[in-house]
Amino acid sequence: MENDVAETKLRVLREAIRSNVEMVRSVRVRPKTFAQRALPVGLWGSLLVASVAYLAVPSLVVSRGKEPPASAAGANTTKSLPPAGAEVMEAAVPLSTPHRLNRAALPLTVKRIVIDPGHGGKQHGAISESGVSEKDITLDIALRLRRLMESAPLEVLMTREIDETLQLEQRVDFANANNADLFVSIHVNWMEPREIRPLETYYVGATNDPALIKLARIENRDSGYSLADYRRLLDKIYLDTRREESHRLAKTINAELYRSLSQINPELENRGVKMAPFAVLIGTQMPAVLAEVSCLSNEEDVKLLTNADYREKIAQALLRGILSYADKLNDSDKKVADLWKKPTKLSVSE
Amino acid sequence: MEETNETLCIGIDLGTSRSSISASNGERHVVDSYVGWPVDMVARKLVKKTVLVGREALDNRSMLDLRRPLERGVIKEGSGKDEEAVQELLRHLISLIGIKPKSKNRGKVRAVVGVPAEAFRISKERLRGAMDGVADSVMLVSEPFAVAYGLEALLHAMIIDIGAGTADFCVMQGHYPTEADQRTLPNAGDSIDERLLKLMQERHPEAQVSIHMIRDWKEKWSFVGEPKSRVKVTVPAKGKATEFDITDEMRGACESILPPISETMIDLLSRVEPEYQERVRHNIILAGGSALISGLPDAFEKACLELGGGRVTVVKDPIFAGSDGGLAIARDASNADWDKLSL
Repeated sequence: MENDVAETKLRVLREAIRSNVEMVRSVRVRPKTFAQRALPVGLWGSLLVASVAYLAVPSLVVSRGKEPPASAAGANTTKSLPPAGAEVMEAAVPLSTPHRLNRAALPLTVKRIVIDPGHGGKQHGAISESGVSEKDITLDIALRLRRLMESAPLEVLMTREIDETLQLEQRVDFANANNADLFVSIHVNWMEPREIRPLETYYVGATNDPALIKLARIENRDSGYSLADYRRLLDKIYLDTRREESHRLAKTINAELYRSLSQINPELENRGVKMAPFAVLIGTQMPAVLAEVSCLSNEEDVKLLTNADYREKIAQALLRGILSYADKLNDSDKKVADLWKKPTKLSVSE
Repeated sequence: MEETNETLCIGIDLGTSRSSISASNGERHVVDSYVGWPVDMVARKLVKKTVLVGREALDNRSMLDLRRPLERGVIKEGSGKDEEAVQELLRHLISLIGIKPKSKNRGKVRAVVGVPAEAFRISKERLRGAMDGVADSVMLVSEPFAVAYGLEALLHAMIIDIGAGTADFCVMQGHYPTEADQRTLPNAGDSIDERLLKLMQERHPEAQVSIHMIRDWKEKWSFVGEPKSRVKVTVPAKGKATEFDITDEMRGACESILPPISETMIDLLSRVEPEYQERVRHNIILAGGSALISGLPDAFEKACLELGGGRVTVVKDPIFAGSDGGLAIARDASNADWDKLSL
């Protein structure tokens, strides 16, 4: 019996030490700061040259791509080389009437995802009455999501991995500089009246809803963008064809979140997918969504959020939403979800 | 046990209300988790110190910028002053066991610090950072796990560590507890204080009370179920010393933590492998300062009746159970392990 106790003590002690050593290692190998993560100047130069070459020799693009169907909007423009003075012809196309891009015309795939834990550092985000900060919850869920995605054939990047202050502009630049295919920003809501427990997923778009305008104002605080930038950014809302993909991504994520969380939280109110002009959604150049995964103004939600199991469930639901979207999008015989073997924990708990 | 003359092992239970330290040199101390700095020159002259810690800080609070820097068992956020206060508290604890934190001649200090079962990783990192300059190597473990280790209750046991900021649960099943084995609730000593203060203000609006008075009363007379005697306090009402019977208010406030704690206890018990559930139910151990609330074990045993009955006991020394457990872990870890955990 004494031997049993000694053995058990040794085992749990070893596990406790391993857990601590892992934490120490993760702290010592600090993720690079945004400035360090951004592409080096030389690479920017190369990208610029490549961009110029890309624009100057459109035939290369046309010859590599699949022949778009005749019905595809804009197909005429890609069928033949532009004549000299093409810029004059382009100028003749009014900016206010953008052509809708047919999704079937492009073989799109998802390879790289940027996860954005909302707020951080000096920006606490929402704070519950009992003192739980949005920035801690979002980081925890994001780290869980990244861990869950380790076995998936997708590259995952995070705008922040520690408690650091990042402006919205930096988050956007990070996703754009890294050529992310998807951008998922994780947030936790704060709403009056406090009895409500809403779940909402956003994609970029204008809104007349005063509540959403207020929410966007709060989330866009400390964005780092100037007034002139906002004008330029807001113009993009209407011109950007990625909005449709953002809508699809938001729908799959929202559906998975509600399906999973409503089992534990029956009072969860699914407010569905909405459009709002959040700066991180406007500035990013890839399909982008912002998920408000729970509500810190409701103390029952706060209790759930302080439970690691619930946060794990949120991360799992986000994962399923992303993979489901990627599966529908990827022009591949083998689906992402098939390539990725689900962790035992996920299959057991579902 | 690889302690040498040059090393000192310590266990620390850094609590929202009280912090305890147990050291391998035999020293054990507990202090109120308060830190205060004199507000001005006059105050500094009167208190004759640049910083006050513990009961001394609480007693001189009118002259101090008083901080209670821990919230739900971790460093409060958003204020550099609170981080500084935690470091002062840690330095004070270390000095109580005869170590000068900043001395270059001191031996190596290996510390095990208890944190809430579900503390965020970022909170743990902050705490590790605060230990810099206080210890040479640091290990963070969940508070109920430290208690379980100290009691050698590592198999088929449930620890409920009820402190001021949090109630931490941990089911021990022969391995280091995972997230699924642990829970943290914000319903603990502080929520009793807040409830009692609210009840006093509602039922005796004329009574002039402060949260510090409420905490003192709770420590003296808290109970659930039947009181041993009526709880009567004398406080000013419109300036005049007046006696109030607060028995019902005390009971109401203390019993407010029973439903969430019982519910979580039952939920965790129901997740244990079916063949071991009964053994765990009969090995529920309460620790932490709020475990001293009179009648608490009976109340939880009553809650276990719907599952088929159980046995709930309170550790012999609830205040030091966490730090003693931390010390046991610190002593059992090898030199090589500690090297990996150096600051």
